[in-house]
Amino acid sequence: MSSAAGIAPYNEDQAESARMIRESAAGHASDIARIRALRFTTHGFAADAYREMAELGWIGLAVPEAAGGSGLGMIELVTLAEELGRGLVPEPIIPATLSALLLAEAGETELLGQLLAGEAVVLTAWQDRAGTLTPSLDAGATRRFIPMAAGATHFLVPTTAGLGVLPAAEADLVTEPTNDGGNLGTLRPGAYRSVGQANPGPALDKAALATAAYLLGGMEAAFAMTLAYLNTRQQFGKIIGTFQALQHKAVDVKVQIALTRASVEAAAAGIDNGATGDAASALVSRAKARASEASMTVGQMCVQLSGGIGYTDDYDVGLYLRKAMTLAPLFGGAALHRARFMKLSPETEDA
Amino acid sequence: MSVIAGVEPEDLNALDDESFRLVVRRWIEANYPPELRNPPKRLHWEENNPWYFKLAEKGWLCPGWPREYGGLGLGPIKQIIFTEELERWGCARSNDHGIIMLGPLLIRYGSEEQKKHYLPKILSGEHVWCQGYSEPNSGSDLASLRTSAVLDGDEYVVNGQKIWTTLASDANWIFLLVRTDPTAKKQEGISFLLVDMNTPGITVRPIINLEMHDEFCEVFFDNVRVPKANLVGQLNKGWDMAKALLSFERIYLGSPRQSAYALTRLKQLAEKMGVFDDPSFAGTYAKLRTDFEDLKSLYGRYVEVLKRGQSLGADVSQLKIVQSELFQRITETMMAISAENAGLMEPMEGNRNLNPAGLYIQARPTTIYGGTSEIQRNIIAKNVLGLPG
Ligand SMILES: Cc1cc2nc3c(=O)[nH]c(=O)nc-3n(C[C@H](O)[C@H](O)[C@H](O)COP(=O)(O)OP(=O)(O)OC[C@H]3O[C@@H](n4cnc5c(N)ncnc54)[C@H](O)[C@@H]3O)c2cc1C
Repeated sequence: MSSAAGIAPYNEDQAESARMIRESAAGHASDIARIRALRFTTHGFAADAYREMAELGWIGLAVPEAAGGSGLGMIELVTLAEELGRGLVPEPIIPATLSALLLAEAGETELLGQLLAGEAVVLTAWQDRAGTLTPSLDAGATRRFIPMAAGATHFLVPTTAGLGVLPAAEADLVTEPTNDGGNLGTLRPGAYRSVGQANPGPALDKAALATAAYLLGGMEAAFAMTLAYLNTRQQFGKIIGTFQALQHKAVDVKVQIALTRASVEAAAAGIDNGATGDAASALVSRAKARASEASMTVGQMCVQLSGGIGYTDDYDVGLYLRKAMTLAPLFGGAALHRARFMKLSPETEDA
Repeated sequence: MSVIAGVEPEDLNALDDESFRLVVRRWIEANYPPELRNPPKRLHWEENNPWYFKLAEKGWLCPGWPREYGGLGLGPIKQIIFTEELERWGCARSNDHGIIMLGPLLIRYGSEEQKKHYLPKILSGEHVWCQGYSEPNSGSDLASLRTSAVLDGDEYVVNGQKIWTTLASDANWIFLLVRTDPTAKKQEGISFLLVDMNTPGITVRPIINLEMHDEFCEVFFDNVRVPKANLVGQLNKGWDMAKALLSFERIYLGSPRQSAYALTRLKQLAEKMGVFDDPSFAGTYAKLRTDFEDLKSLYGRYVEVLKRGQSLGADVSQLKIVQSELFQRITETMMAISAENAGLMEPMEGNRNLNPAGLYIQARPTTIYGGTSEIQRNIIAKNVLGLPG
């Protein structure tokens, strides 16, 4: 392929495993009637679908083999996440991946085994307020904005005393509905059982990057629908896609998607090629900032290009906008990640 | 009537602007139903009519209508102040198609009998109107509409379908654009018809919008018989009237109302989120504030034109562009500063003043309804700038 869009910044082996993940995921993640039926239900996702996804190895994709995962890289994880986003999959695969990475690092095996098998829904409750990238380690702090918390079986709470586990049955939890039909939880402090030590930072970065990829998949799906509409809808006796004002808007959307893909895949390849610490975080911040902002712009533009039908709940483009409204700020929104990027990635002399 | 404020309508225009503002503010605060403040979604008629009747009783329902027809005949600045005070207090928008669209149209084009019959019924709330223009295949290209009206004796027989009809499920009357001459050039075969929604053959089906709210509807017409006397203006001249009405709609949609409301909520949200000290927010806020003041100045000029009895030119489209896009930017800023709270479906902490996601969604269709931003730009390019095409 000669277009730059087709040149991925990663090697042949990874390209092959990414291709297989894409195919398998696309086959399992494209039932829009299922997605619609689950919106605004008690849990917001289906336990049996979650288990099936775990059985396909999705939760353990990036978990080391020694800990029972597949030991694949970030390229594979972002490929999976992109397909989940394309299909608007509500099952909390990315939050579960975050928990699996932390449990593996802590050397915990029992709950991790259940999590990788899809028998447990373990969600990490890391933040104590809105608009932060720094995990709270205060065992006495209320934890907020836990995605899909209503369906959790366990919470994982990083504290100074180690990684704490709290079964959902013992949790003092309040959930609130989100724009996409899911929920966010607020967890009051409980009696945590410590299962070892883990540093949440790197795993949170991976969750942020996977969320960026999820948003990327959503943008592509919404844009594909919109392009099809531009190619069929007629007004003034013409296909509306012939109007140059709309052509230019469509191109602007395409450019945002291209930038998001370039940024997300550069970050994934960078980490797979050994970037760690601040270097990895800077890559992730750039990608998540781009994806958070672009997903909102693209969602809005797709509604606009569709006209009245774009403002109906029946039309799927709106589902992507409502998903972006919910996910863009999770694991850090655009402004937060840009600020972190500037802190971590000082400008070079010749820049 | 004006017991609380102690000011008669004729005196309102004589007040200086700040006294006028206080009179309006005091009356709103004393009379607005507290449970209806800052509704997270647009209210249905059965929810908002107590306020409609309060305004009607006070004689303040139609601030822009001339006094002789039951309006307040307010000057431009006072109309803006009136609007600002409603928005400041978070007053619900009522079912106002009769007030802002049909009323002005009838005042200009209606027969004496029509004015006498319909205007008082808008003022009393007996008639609740909706606007039946758009059709599934005629949105931006409205003049291609196909819903037909064929004369049969003393009645028109209407067949076809309208869509996106806001609050049609609440309305008991609809004003329609219908095709009365299928052979003429498309703009020249359209007429303007008033239809009682209780006439047999009309079916209303609500559509759930992106807000998850049943606000707009499809309306189907199956051999609906409408008295000939319900035609407004001349036969086949409906398009010209509708175009004139569109400029009333554009000045309403271009009024600083929505941006004023959103800016007040942004301020409350910014205080809640503690971002006023953040220099990047301060810069964004300053831009939105000055954009808003400029919008008000621009709006004032258009109101002044109307006040002098002149008609608005095609350039009023720019007012609608500026207002709708500013409203959107304000709500985008609300989303950005709310961080994770932006994901929540309901207002934060149950406080309706803090509703970033709800307002963000409500701002989306403002660049679609009343003529999309693309269409408004086309109009200006062609009719104001004189560019070819
Ligand atoms: C919330 C809401 C409330 C509404 N309420 C009412 C109501 O009460 N009564 C009523 O009659 N209607 C109502 N409408 C309908 C509204 O007026 C139409 O949606 C609008 O005119 C656009 O028409 P459309 O939806 O068919 O989109 P289309 O005309 O199909 O437009 C699709 C896209 O193509 C673009 N486009 C079309 N033509 C051109 C062109 N020549 N050049 C460049 N771009 C172009 C549009 O800008 C848009 O981006 C409402 C709509 C909404 C969203």
